[in-house]
Amino acid sequence: MDIDPAFNLNDTLEDIIMNKIVVENLKYRYPLTEELALNDISFEVNEGEFIGIIGENLAGKSTLCQSLVGLVPHFYGGAYGGKVLIDGMEVLKSEISDIALKVGMVFQNPFTQVTGSKLTVYEEIAFGLENMGLERSEMIERIDYALSLLDIYKFKDRNPFDLSGGQMQRMAIAGIIAMKPEIIVLDEPTSQLDPQGSEEVFKAIQDLSHEGITVIMVEHKIEKIAKYSDRVMLMHKGSIVDFDTPKKIFSKDDLEKYGVIAPAFTRICKAFDVKDDNGLYPVTLDEAYDVVVNVNE
Amino acid sequence: MKSISLYVPGKTFIYKIDPITKLFYIAVAIIIPIVAPAQIVSYICLAVSLLIILFGKIIKKVLPIISFSAIILVTVVIIQGLFKLDNKTPMFSIGPLTFYKEGLSYALVICMRVFNILFAFSILVLTTKPSDLIESLVRKGLSPKIGYVLDSVLQIIPEMTATMSTITDAQRSRGLETEGKLSTRIKAFFPLIGPVVMNSLVATRERAMALEVRGFNSKREKSFLNEEFKSPYSRVLQWTLTLLLILTILWRILS
Repeated sequence: MDIDPAFNLNDTLEDIIMNKIVVENLKYRYPLTEELALNDISFEVNEGEFIGIIGENLAGKSTLCQSLVGLVPHFYGGAYGGKVLIDGMEVLKSEISDIALKVGMVFQNPFTQVTGSKLTVYEEIAFGLENMGLERSEMIERIDYALSLLDIYKFKDRNPFDLSGGQMQRMAIAGIIAMKPEIIVLDEPTSQLDPQGSEEVFKAIQDLSHEGITVIMVEHKIEKIAKYSDRVMLMHKGSIVDFDTPKKIFSKDDLEKYGVIAPAFTRICKAFDVKDDNGLYPVTLDEAYDVVVNVNE
Repeated sequence: MKSISLYVPGKTFIYKIDPITKLFYIAVAIIIPIVAPAQIVSYICLAVSLLIILFGKIIKKVLPIISFSAIILVTVVIIQGLFKLDNKTPMFSIGPLTFYKEGLSYALVICMRVFNILFAFSILVLTTKPSDLIESLVRKGLSPKIGYVLDSVLQIIPEMTATMSTITDAQRSRGLETEGKLSTRIKAFFPLIGPVVMNSLVATRERAMALEVRGFNSKREKSFLNEEFKSPYSRVLQWTLTLLLILTILWRILS
């Protein structure tokens, strides 16, 4: 068995197999720019993990996402160094269409994700499946599943351009989910959704995560990231500041320095210096409740 | 969002014929009157197309197309009737203008051919969804990329028009006058076109990325969600049309 030198010598065989995403010393600069958009990024993600990426604008979050699906560097060009391995497949040496079989990506703007060539939502979701060359029966099965999961089955016969922003975004997610990728990368997918719509999307994505799909999500809705993520990556100026559990990340004292504000519950607990047994602040309502009850007892 | 399409939903016999057979019909209806050595063939082709249009119940939609073209054809009749080089035999005069037989019969041939083309194309575009036509062509070997471009342009142009309208409203709300005299409209054009073009470029780039991650450039053989549209008599119709074309060509050669 060939072991790629990108893996650390200290990794066990189990680690190597479990690591869905391995990024090593990734550096990237867009064409005609001088600053690095990604500066020496290294991390590993395990199968089925839900990773939240946070940070201020121009922190490199979207660029990092695009590097996982091969858009960086294949689509943009530019200067690229380091390695991104998706399930053992090196992004730099693979074509985007091959990477797309393993990694799906949902973008911020739902409007530009509509292909523009299909007349109904049902056909729109089939677009990726047709490109994959799937059998018709398999396509129908997958489309029905994705439409039901995102609760948009009732819109299946509508023209995609006639949907609202939120419905369109859910259609875009359904289009990716139908392709059954092992990893889903979402770049601020709920930015155009109402609170109810956002919650539905997060729940759907969490369900996928529980089914073993690895999720990488960039999001400014800190409360949601705190609630759903297994680990949170804090980025600043193209580098990773920290990559740890939500509690550890949001318990940091210097979060605001990186343009991030901790969840409301964390800020309240910080104000009253309410910590859990490990000396960390709670990040969700349930955690805050448990800690407060423990303190009172 | 409306798609740019002349398709009229319907259930008559013509809707049950597949797009490729309709394309065959267009080719034959256009080529035969040109190749055939007798003018009568043009009238026959025209009559056949007209019958299909009548029984296909799309005549109401064909009339505006014909009326628009008729305006242009009237100018053809006038110019040929008056000024064709080999005009010799006067037919009638209106004041100082004399119309000649040679010019008028040549104009009539042109009109017949134009109407033939319009009728034949109307049968296709009014009774076939653009997406069905393009899908049929892709199945027959047209590049999926070209198919996508043809398909998407029908929907993306209305989308761009909607974006333009949003930008116009935004500029208007900031005091830009967009209506009134021609000079006012010209002045308003540049502040509007800049954002529209930039917006379209950004949207196109984002859409290209979204297509990429959905395997648009995949080298795998593409499959289709919709079952292939095959009418029971497709083969028979296509062979009949081809045979008619061959016979007309032979007629031309032998005459």
